[in-house]
Amino acid sequence: MSIDSGVLPGKSSRLDGLLDWMQMLSGAGLILFMWAHMLLVASVIVSPDWMNAIAHFFEATGMAQVGGPLIFLLFLTHFFLAARKLPFRLEGQKTIWSHAKMMRHGDTWLWIVQAVSAMIILLMGSIHMWVVLTDLPITAAKSAARIQGGFWFVFYMILLPLTELHVGIGFYRIGVKWGFITDDRRGMFKKRENFLTLAFIVIGFAALLRFMFLSIAQ
Amino acid sequence: MSRLLKFNIFRYNPQDEASVPHMDEFVLEETDAMTLFIALNRIREEQDASLQFDFCCRAGICGACGMVINGRPGLACHTKTRDLPGEITLLPLPVFKLVGDLSVDTGTWFREMYNKTESWIHTNKVFDENALEERMDNDVAESIYELDRCIECGCCVSACGTARIREDFMGAVALNRIGRFLIDPRDQRTERDYYEIIGNDMGIFGCMGLLACEDVCPKHLPLQNQLGFLRRKMGITAIKTLFKG
Amino acid sequence: MQTIYTDVLVIGAGLAGERAAIEAAQAGNSTICLSIVPARRSHSSAAQGGMQAALGNSCMGDGDCPDVHFEDTVKGSDWGCDQEVARLFADRAPIEMRQLAHWGVPWNRVVPGKSNYFKGGQQFEKEEREDKAGLITSRAFGGTAKRRTCYVSDGTGHAVLFTVDNVCAQKGVEVHDKTEAIALIHDGETCFGAIARSLRTGELFAYIAKATMVASGGFGRIYPNTTNAVICDGSAHTAVLETGVVPMGNMEAVQFHPTGIVPTDILVTEGCRGDGGTLLDVNEERFMHKYEPEKAELASRDVVSRWMTHHMREGFGVKSAYGEHLWLDIRHLGEKHITGKLREVYEICTSFLGIDPIHQLIPVRPTQHYSMGGIRTDKDGAAYGLKGLFSAGEASCWDMHGFNRLGGNSLAETVVAGGIVGRKIVEYVEGTEVLFNSRIIDETAAAQKERIDSLVSGRNGKENVYKVRADMQNALHKGANIFRTEEGLQECVDSLQKVLERARTVGLRTNGIGANPELAAALKIEGQVKLALMIAYGALQRTESRGSHNREDYPARNDRDWLVRTLAYWKNTDDMLPTLEYEPATKTVEIPPGDRGYGKMAVISADDSEGKEG
Ligand SMILES: Cc1cc2nc3c(=O)[nH]c(=O)nc-3n(C[C@H](O)[C@H](O)[C@H](O)COP(=O)(O)OP(=O)(O)OC[C@H]3O[C@@H](n4cnc5c(N)ncnc54)[C@H](O)[C@@H]3O)c2cc1C
Ligand code: HEM
Ligand code: HEM
Ligand code: SF4
Ligand code: F3S
Ligand code: FES
Repeated sequence: MSIDSGVLPGKSSRLDGLLDWMQMLSGAGLILFMWAHMLLVASVIVSPDWMNAIAHFFEATGMAQVGGPLIFLLFLTHFFLAARKLPFRLEGQKTIWSHAKMMRHGDTWLWIVQAVSAMIILLMGSIHMWVVLTDLPITAAKSAARIQGGFWFVFYMILLPLTELHVGIGFYRIGVKWGFITDDRRGMFKKRENFLTLAFIVIGFAALLRFMFLSIAQ
Repeated sequence: MSRLLKFNIFRYNPQDEASVPHMDEFVLEETDAMTLFIALNRIREEQDASLQFDFCCRAGICGACGMVINGRPGLACHTKTRDLPGEITLLPLPVFKLVGDLSVDTGTWFREMYNKTESWIHTNKVFDENALEERMDNDVAESIYELDRCIECGCCVSACGTARIREDFMGAVALNRIGRFLIDPRDQRTERDYYEIIGNDMGIFGCMGLLACEDVCPKHLPLQNQLGFLRRKMGITAIKTLFKG
Repeated sequence: MQTIYTDVLVIGAGLAGERAAIEAAQAGNSTICLSIVPARRSHSSAAQGGMQAALGNSCMGDGDCPDVHFEDTVKGSDWGCDQEVARLFADRAPIEMRQLAHWGVPWNRVVPGKSNYFKGGQQFEKEEREDKAGLITSRAFGGTAKRRTCYVSDGTGHAVLFTVDNVCAQKGVEVHDKTEAIALIHDGETCFGAIARSLRTGELFAYIAKATMVASGGFGRIYPNTTNAVICDGSAHTAVLETGVVPMGNMEAVQFHPTGIVPTDILVTEGCRGDGGTLLDVNEERFMHKYEPEKAELASRDVVSRWMTHHMREGFGVKSAYGEHLWLDIRHLGEKHITGKLREVYEICTSFLGIDPIHQLIPVRPTQHYSMGGIRTDKDGAAYGLKGLFSAGEASCWDMHGFNRLGGNSLAETVVAGGIVGRKIVEYVEGTEVLFNSRIIDETAAAQKERIDSLVSGRNGKENVYKVRADMQNALHKGANIFRTEEGLQECVDSLQKVLERARTVGLRTNGIGANPELAAALKIEGQVKLALMIAYGALQRTESRGSHNREDYPARNDRDWLVRTLAYWKNTDDMLPTLEYEPATKTVEIPPGDRGYGKMAVISADDSEGKEG
């Protein structure tokens, strides 16, 4: 009888509710952005001109100059919000790893994938954004040059699947956490989500290859 | 020829200075329709009388026998050995305080939970012996019972990664308890009152949607839907309070 | 050893104990419930079917009232009950159901309109009344003239216990779970509390109280096959009988439930038959209507169990590796009903038997289920023999059940008696000054320590407690079952006496440190054998058949000589037999002994002039 059962209800904090909203909205915002981003980058598969046109559109309207840093801000906000839930103490990390290993439970593993990918995305995403945004305007040629250098190809080959996984899981997680996905539809939704993630990785990969073999002289 | 089952069982008696945490191995011949209830009692009666574990109803309705069975929290009494591989590993439920071997102290944890959630009907109506009972729609009664079916086995808490890394997280069982009172017309607490209890990171906003609770609950409570419902409800309350100040 | 003072100590946190504790706490008394398991795991939570109270809301319960309920109860008891108590109970039950509704029990409610129901495998139509919409509804149970059993799906005990425990938490009743009472503290006149052993640490605690209540439930586990939980082993009864001054009433009255599943003995509710399920034999044919044309499957439990056993003896049993059984058929009730109103049954069948009751038959046989006997109290719940000691619920023999309790009457009894006795305890605590004698407390504690030391050191012998227990269970099973004979009972008593001697030489094989389970078993074994002897010896002496007590050599109910209640004492701890005394079954007679309307048997009426035989 060591635990004292004080009649202390969990202390209420209005902030926690709002922060949870913001965590979800920042995640959702980033998801939307990543889809849009995919559209931009993948257009190169169809034709570099398309990509240039889309990029130009963003430049001309000022969305890249202003939107870029805003996205970066959103990225950081999301990180700070979501990171509240991560165990930063070694003990906590050990617990959650051993817990996931013991349980062999899909959704628990997904969370670990999300948390680990998050850390890498934080680092690589920041570098990536810095590089792209300090070298505006965006053109298919510039991108192709970077990627054909080899380093960036490998870089993206890591960042791409991690991002898509994180986004895919995040999308699913928002659905279940807020009850948009009910228990009877969970299995179906998960399948679709996996398919979508895979599709995005494939498209992204195709785009990378396209950049790789794009003749820069064009 | 029936199988020889190999049991790896966690052993530790905190009261015994000579005892250190370790795993013990027991071998038992499988019999027809054997459950872990039958197996563990046989081990205790035939091999090691000091083995600690908890059973009560042995019918899957009291929640006493929660333990980690080959990695998953579940009820030992309604686990048939037939459904398990020949090697069975049994651990006590994490999160709860260890009493010894497979036995944990759920009672203290749950009492504290009742106090935190104020797990009773809040009403200013006074019971009148001579009056008819207040009427209630049968559908409402049934949906309350649906959430009242929880047997407080603690499996959902032990299976929850959040509960394991954050001691103050209330767990699905407590959140479900609030859900039960929230839909009960007899409870006069408002959404604001409930928000005071679970509208924070110890409560509904702490849940990370890992859904292990949903997947292990032996009574198949609709935890996933319930948690989603509460997050929306409390999320909206948070915004309402923001504007009302 | 730690000493804990409280106004009211309740041994048991099931429905009876907690209901009484609420009354005590409400009146401002500090109140502690002890329990082997967390309160909500108490066996009350296992009751599926429901609880009887004459609310008369459902159309099939129309015209019901406490008088009819009282009559059913007395008939059910085979006139063995105390009619004053049965009356108290029937009158109070409806109020108590409403109290529970007020506290939060999600009772199923009346839904107006037409619907179908089954009886004896046939479909009928009924129409619920508009003006009753939303009131507490009821289902049919065995041995009742009206549909009177209030229910919450098939988790009535669970839902009610959760609600009552919620109220306990609200009112500040402390529950010390994983704490087992092992001895009462008393001076032969007054009870001062109990010595308890922590099942967390093995430590002993002295609980000192102005009033002590035993609400420890049944003790079916002294039988090998029982529907009872593993904690229903009579440990608190052993503490009470060791006082030597408090008698156990009617211990020979043991109920066997018709539908324990084979092999695990888990109960499937009487609600199955109440809702229209039928019993089938080896030929998959109904048989109950042949024996009981009127009530068929819904005659009282003693009657149905008896006919089932009879039918199996006639060669109509289904043979299996676990012995003979019969079938319960609920297939015709349909999937919706089975997975809805009988969901618990559905889950038991699928997860313990691997059987789908929607399409398959359920193997059942009569199984030990309920102990009508127990700590004898007066109508206030005050135990005979010791002041300040009370009892209620299945642990007690308040005696509204006599020789057979009706389905749904026990759960109702727990809350009705809990309420009544709780209020009496409040009166007692307020009106009495209790002087605690510290010498007695110390002596009792020392004696218990001594007992533990002897078991751990093996000073008295090295007998294996589990073997002794199994032999006790088997002796009872063989000799004191549904059908009883002089020969069988005598043999049972003889072998139990041998078991008793061995029980006195039990020694541990383990070190006994901490919450050692072997020690827990060893501490109660001698008392359990004594309980078993009270059953067997009481049954041997009672040369008649009444309710669940069936003497094949005395098939008639004998109201002339045996309209009495057995009081069994264990006067000296070293005795080899209980001392039996008798008292009239009832002082008040509202309904004189007569025909029950089911379970035809010969009756020797009180007017028959010959004197007491045997
Ligand atoms: C499977 C099943 C189904 C049933 N269904 C129905 C039904 O549908 N309707 C109906 O009316 N009746 C039913 N009954 C009967 C009814 O459930 C019980 O008779 C009733 O619940 C007993 O309640 P109680 O409060 O007396 O004891 P319990 O609920 O058994 O509680 C006993 C308490 O005492 C504690 N205890 C025991 N010994 C000690 C000790 N030595 N020290 C400390 N604490 C101790 C236990 O931990 C527990 O808290 C059923 C019984 C069974 C077995
Ligand atoms: C483009 C980049 C990112 C996108 C699109 C994205 C998207 C999402 C989404 C949609 C969620 C679910 C939100 C929720 O459950 O409420 C989420 C959760 C999470 N994100 Fe990100 N995220 C991105 C970057 C990051 C980064 C850089 C981190 C850095 C740490 C991070 C950490 C997390 C964590 C830990 C969670 C889980 C939080 C929880 O379950 O409560 N994410 N992310
Ligand atoms: C406003 C911010 C961003 C802009 C303007 C931008 C722009 C670009 C451009 C132009 C490319 C083509 C390759 C190149 O030029 O190097 C690219 C590729 C890529 N970007 Fe971004 N990006 C942004 C943010 C992000 C973020 C936040 C992430 C993820 C965390 C991300 C992940 C990727 C990946 C994985 C690729 C390569 C894979 C593919 O083919 O899809 N980007 N981005
Ligand atoms: S919600 Fe399910 S898993 Fe959790 S305590 Fe209740 S019954 Fe057990
Ligand atoms: S497992 Fe835990 S994180 Fe939430 S969904 Fe269940 S409570
Ligand atoms: S012992 Fe009751 S649920 Fe397993």
